[in-house]
Amino acid sequence: MTAPSAKPDLATLSIDWTRCDGHGLCHVLLPERVGRDEWGFPVLHHTAVHSVDELEVRGAVAACPALALYLTRN
Amino acid sequence: MTTLLNRPAKTPLDTTAWSIGSPRLLAGLADAETLDARGHHAAHGPLPIADLDRVLAYLDASGLAGRGGAGFPLAAKLRSLPRGGARRVIVNGTESEPASRKDRVLLRRTPQLVLDGALAVAAAIGARDITVAVHAERTAQVVRAAAGQRSDGRRIGVRVVPGGFVAGEARAVVRALNGGPAIPTGRRTPPTADGDLVANVETFAQLAVLLRIGPHRFAETGTVTEPGTTLLTVGGAVSRPGVVEIPLGTPLGIVLAAAGAAPDPQAVVVGGYHGGWLAPIPQIRLSRHGVASAGGTLGAGVVLVVDNATCALGELARVTAWLAAESAKQCGPCRFGLPALAADVAALACGHPAVAPALDHARAVNGRGACAHPDGAARFVTSGLHLLHEETDRHLASGGCGRPVLGRLPIGAAS
Repeated sequence: MTAPSAKPDLATLSIDWTRCDGHGLCHVLLPERVGRDEWGFPVLHHTAVHSVDELEVRGAVAACPALALYLTRN
Repeated sequence: MTTLLNRPAKTPLDTTAWSIGSPRLLAGLADAETLDARGHHAAHGPLPIADLDRVLAYLDASGLAGRGGAGFPLAAKLRSLPRGGARRVIVNGTESEPASRKDRVLLRRTPQLVLDGALAVAAAIGARDITVAVHAERTAQVVRAAAGQRSDGRRIGVRVVPGGFVAGEARAVVRALNGGPAIPTGRRTPPTADGDLVANVETFAQLAVLLRIGPHRFAETGTVTEPGTTLLTVGGAVSRPGVVEIPLGTPLGIVLAAAGAAPDPQAVVVGGYHGGWLAPIPQIRLSRHGVASAGGTLGAGVVLVVDNATCALGELARVTAWLAAESAKQCGPCRFGLPALAADVAALACGHPAVAPALDHARAVNGRGACAHPDGAARFVTSGLHLLHEETDRHLASGGCGRPVLGRLPIGAAS
């Protein structure tokens, strides 16, 4: 059940795994959202992006050197 | 319940094909190695003309799920095609699951039935081209000859695409047909978005039967939610390996008895190497729902028997190493995670305490790839470790179980 005060999901954060080389910038820029596994590849803790976080997430997407991190609108 | 075992007297090609109950897809194959156009007509009768509305109505009434492994309903695929934008019908005959033979049997022995289904879909959605994608040149030759025998066969192209486990995934097949590498794309866009209707060989054959007999007769066998028959490939420790057509919902015990399975086996692997290990409970119903209720997945219908003569943990380790090698190595978690997982399972088989790291690595790779290969490998290993926990203890206590690894689970594709 969703709480009535829940913020609407604006977009979904995904990784194109064929592009990702595990540079780790997403982890540095979004430490609460993205962890790293033992090989350095990102682990997405949550993929739903609300409007309040959008700017910050877009910054990380733009910074990804492999163009692997991407946002899709719901 | 009357169980008829219809087995051909001789063993044609590289496999046997038989049925429990009366055969539908395999009809007419008891006396013929390959049904030519005339034999096909005699066994199945003419294919009625059907527009898209009728095809969809029949599919909805029978709930025909795709037979390539994922079980996606064919009707949903047809509906998700862009309006007026259907380009191509692609018959996925790559059958990359090492133990599976059912699609090869259909294409080599009753190719006209598969082509009927593909042509019916092409007519219904207005697609101009039909491409049959296979891995083996030998299969391609049979299908080309079959297309040459029919007046409407000129639109059918047959293409041999590169082999490999992940090369059989629908997006990898389309990519290979379009001149690219035979590996899945990075973004999970379904082929229908580009107007390509891709479905498994057996799905087209099932449709060809459904269009002939209608949803009412189609549902005379099978279960209420999953009417009709399905093809299995039965192997491992059985005396009669081969492709078996069964009514959906047939109990596992009946199939194992009919296939001459070793008595009291340790396990069955159902659904192939993206499927799972199950205790050989005779009452498990072989339908998508039945196998799911038992904690597994029917997948593309592979059933492999692991008897007591072989080291089951060793079998698990051998297949896990193969799965790691079959990674396309284009996604980091799969490229590094599957070899780590394989090393864990190999260590376990040698008596090292590696259950926790193996389960951790399985969890770590799950869902983190361009295709479902890491997910499937994780499912295979996790289910194996759960089922074989007593074996694991035994290996820990004494460094092994003293049994050789007999290779009951085949790896590497045969043509």
